[in-house]
Amino acid sequence: MKFDVVIIGGGLAGTSAATELQKSGLKCILVADGLSLYNCPKNEFKAAGGTVLQGDRVVSGDFEDGRLLRVYTAKLGNEPLEAGQFVLATGKYFSRGLVADMDKVYEPLFNLDVEYDADRPSWFDPSFAAPQRFLEFGVKTSGALALKGGVPIENLYPAGEVLAGVSSAQGDATEQILNSARQAVRAIRKTDYAGE
Amino acid sequence: MPSKNEFDVIIIGGGITGAGTARDCAMRGLRVLLIERHDIATGATGRNHGLLHSGARYAVKDSESAEECIRENKILRSIASNCIEDTGGLFITLPEDEEAGFGLDYQQKFIDACQRAGIEARAISPSDAREMEPSVNPSLIGAVVVPDGSVDPFRLCAANVTDAAMHGAKVLVYTEFIDFIREGDTIQGVQVLDTRTGVKAEYRAPVTVNAAGIWGHGVAEKAGVHIGMYPAKGALLVFGHRVNNVVINRCRKSADGDILVPGDSVTVIGTTSTKVPFEECDHMEVTPDEVRLLLREGCALCPSLASTRILRAYAGVRPLVADDSDPTGRSISRGIVCLDHETRDGVKGFISITGGKLMTYRLMAELATDAVCRKLGVNQACSTAETPLPGSVDGRIETVSKRFEGKVTLGQKGAAGRQGDLVGKLRFDSDADKQLVCECENVTLAEIKYAVAELGVRSLGDLRRRTRVGMGTCQGTLCIRKAAKALAQALGDPSLEAKLAADYLDERWKGMRAVGWGDTLREMEFMQRVYKFEKPYSYDEI
Amino acid sequence: MQENNISTGNFEQCQKCSLCETVCPVMANNPDYGGPKRSGPDGQRYRLKNGIFYDDSLKYCLNCKRCEVACPSGVRIADLIQQARIEFSQKPPRLRDIMLASTDQMGPVASAVAPLVNFSLGLSPVKGLLDLTIGLDHRRTLPKYSSETFVHWFNKKAAARQDEFKKHISYFHGCYANYNYPQLAKDFVAVMNAFGYGVHLIEGERCCGVAKIANGMIPAATRDAKANMNAFSKSLVKGRDIITVSTTCTMTLLEEYPELLKVDNSSIKEHISLVEPFLYKAIASGQIKPVWKEGWKARAAYHCPCHQERLGLGIFTTELLKMIPGLELTELESNCCGIAGTYGFKKENFRVSQLIGKKLFDDIAAAAPEFVACECETCKWQIEMSTGVPVKNPVSILAEALDLEKTSELNCA
Repeated sequence: MKFDVVIIGGGLAGTSAATELQKSGLKCILVADGLSLYNCPKNEFKAAGGTVLQGDRVVSGDFEDGRLLRVYTAKLGNEPLEAGQFVLATGKYFSRGLVADMDKVYEPLFNLDVEYDADRPSWFDPSFAAPQRFLEFGVKTSGALALKGGVPIENLYPAGEVLAGVSSAQGDATEQILNSARQAVRAIRKTDYAGE
Repeated sequence: MPSKNEFDVIIIGGGITGAGTARDCAMRGLRVLLIERHDIATGATGRNHGLLHSGARYAVKDSESAEECIRENKILRSIASNCIEDTGGLFITLPEDEEAGFGLDYQQKFIDACQRAGIEARAISPSDAREMEPSVNPSLIGAVVVPDGSVDPFRLCAANVTDAAMHGAKVLVYTEFIDFIREGDTIQGVQVLDTRTGVKAEYRAPVTVNAAGIWGHGVAEKAGVHIGMYPAKGALLVFGHRVNNVVINRCRKSADGDILVPGDSVTVIGTTSTKVPFEECDHMEVTPDEVRLLLREGCALCPSLASTRILRAYAGVRPLVADDSDPTGRSISRGIVCLDHETRDGVKGFISITGGKLMTYRLMAELATDAVCRKLGVNQACSTAETPLPGSVDGRIETVSKRFEGKVTLGQKGAAGRQGDLVGKLRFDSDADKQLVCECENVTLAEIKYAVAELGVRSLGDLRRRTRVGMGTCQGTLCIRKAAKALAQALGDPSLEAKLAADYLDERWKGMRAVGWGDTLREMEFMQRVYKFEKPYSYDEI
Repeated sequence: MQENNISTGNFEQCQKCSLCETVCPVMANNPDYGGPKRSGPDGQRYRLKNGIFYDDSLKYCLNCKRCEVACPSGVRIADLIQQARIEFSQKPPRLRDIMLASTDQMGPVASAVAPLVNFSLGLSPVKGLLDLTIGLDHRRTLPKYSSETFVHWFNKKAAARQDEFKKHISYFHGCYANYNYPQLAKDFVAVMNAFGYGVHLIEGERCCGVAKIANGMIPAATRDAKANMNAFSKSLVKGRDIITVSTTCTMTLLEEYPELLKVDNSSIKEHISLVEPFLYKAIASGQIKPVWKEGWKARAAYHCPCHQERLGLGIFTTELLKMIPGLELTELESNCCGIAGTYGFKKENFRVSQLIGKKLFDDIAAAAPEFVACECETCKWQIEMSTGVPVKNPVSILAEALDLEKTSELNCA
């Protein structure tokens, strides 16, 4: 299936970016792997004509020449979602946008570059109430674009808590998350109009 | 008429040894004071496998310990049914054990030694072992069935304390031993500090028993007595659910991480053994290397542990005691050490009971109490081996949970499993009482109220040791706020809520940090969000 | 290390976030039900310790699987609940449950005397009697039986010409299309034939077994599953993929066989497809070409059945329906209709069943479509009974909207 934009992740960043993009006339599909801790109704997005895959998850993607061409989901199987632009709004550990094992943190979908510290004991402060370093980890960006092997992917825009330095687990980060989503939307619109 | 500060015997330490000694002394008619600087079962008592040894582990090298274990194993099964689970145990032989010289020849030697010690041990085929315990390493080449089990140390300790109190003992928790009251070469009592209020007090008794585990080293020093003790740290990991239903051990020379015990709703792997300085005993952290080692060894027993969530890590300190018969102090004495400091050091009115194991606590208590009675000239036989503990008179969940009227809720079944036949004391008067506070472990508001009223609970940690609140998968993410509120109300001071929650969060956080990756890290992020984001999402309010 | 969790149904990946509870239609309407988290992953942990922790309230789960769709951790919550019921429920199924569940055994008998059965099932005294005697709720409109089964019609009227086509598929019709609503199956044959596919029955097809699973008749369901797997493999030998129309049958074949009945379906999993994805992909890739009727117009609201939501394939239905030029399609907000197969037929569940469906019924009333488009047969009963708005299967909508003759000319050349 072909879309203008595939938004991966149905949390606050993904839902708000998808709604904005759909409303600006782009054909969008939102893949939401389970509900978000942010209550994010998709009514507005759907009312604007957007498509939601609720309870499905992107499992892989095809890259070519520094671009993401298409992604595959667990439930659609061999039917790809093709698009010109992609938003990655998969969140942090809880929503499995980042995965931590004993000595590394990685982005499980595309193996994007992640900012983290390999020394696990340094991830935590002994005091629960203190800021926790592991919540600062996330994908690296160049401008609005994700990096893979140090090279920007020219049509993949991370937004929300998957980003390094953004977390709602340390306090209310709603504005920060929405800002990152707006940044992705602006960048996508610019590319889209430039392409026309 | 003796003053309220005078007793026949003062026992220092609210671990299982002190609790058992308090019970035994009280049952023999002595006026008993038990003091504990934290809560009961906070030291090594609450920081071990919870293994009800059959004694097989010691059979080859230490037949005396093995015989002690199997005797006490049988006794505990009859007096502490509510604290014991008859899981059975396996000693497995793996191909690499054979290469290391612990093959099937050793297995035969092991079985012979078990039988000499009175431990029923029989070899079964690898396929029968796999059927008996499907999670066992399928590449095993031999297996021996032994009567191991699991024991809940919190419950066992609490039952002993409760019974001591029911026999008239005075129990003071959060009461720290400061110094002895001494008259010449005689210990006449103790000075203590209430760690909550900062108030000091003095208590007198003709005999004082040092049952403070590794901290007993320092207690003895205060009496001018030296016991050669070595703190040996043992780290353990708790897995998210019961992976195995039968205890799994390695049939070889005892080593690190070779026992996997199913206990209550989880499985525990342990342990390591590292000598540590005394200063560290109060602040044990489990290191990444220890976690790696335990996981590696655990996977040899049960490969599916590699992909099982680890809830937390913890470490205890074994009180290893130098053998008095070795003047170099290098050899460690095995088994129970009961020292009468009058004959050993010329200090009267002072006994130390140490060494031993969780599951030989009753025998340790009996030996210590015998010594106390000798000093006091009391001639009363020990009856702890025949008298069931409170909760264990009829301790089976299947029978106890039938006592409730109407449909038995999960919370009532959970309580029946934990409180045994004392569960009748829980009051389910309102719907709120039936509400689950801790959903992972099925703990109701009624059980929390009961624990506060009858089991001396002051903090959420205390509550955890009596009820399992916050011990489940979410490690308190969902229940700490609710439990803190309920506890503060039950304690009669709602303003305590925030402090109770904060203390418990730090305690839970500590155990999770050591294993903070994978699903545990996901839970940690969620936990941070629930407690730090002002409007996380809605909770059920109690 | 520690990456691939292997706990049953991924239960220990549960983070206790309780998001599943926010979507559980039963929990919101039945205080006796503990909800998906407690009945599923929480309960599983304690049931592993001791079977005494099995709670009888698990029977209230209607297995809509909305909890699984909501779960951010991939826990197969509803499967855990069904598995626990299979493993621990002590109560043998009641006569009523056996009757409801044995769709394939009741069907032939009822079809043989359909007019009589339909007449009497419609009578108040009979419904009252069923209510009193076996616990079928008297307020429920009971599904009618057809006097001629689809299979009978197919063998008599359609089978002979199927070999003439160049492409071929096997059709898993299921009990409903066979006994209760053969028109749907006939529409399917017409549409597939028009697109150039010969339709063939699966020799030895049995009920998929879903109703038996729901009513605790596991040995019978397992026998059905094994027989079906056998029948499917024969069909695959002939190189024919298996096309299904019923969402729930499909979910059962694909998901419940391995998860609940422990019947391995890996050899056929890739070869079973619901009709909507099958047709969408074929049209989108240009393998087949539809010709739509001039001037055909309709206004429909699409209700995505819970099991379709769980399969995650509803997008194929909507994308397929959006291809129809004359169809004005609105998508209803995702809600459970409340029937959940045989669940809503039971006297003890009727009230809750209607409460659950209320939001959907209200939304349908507000949308006021000519008909509701929906893939599921039991949703159809429930929505038609509760709203009076007709429900059409997408296949039947295609049969109406396609110019079958011209489509056939274009695709069968």
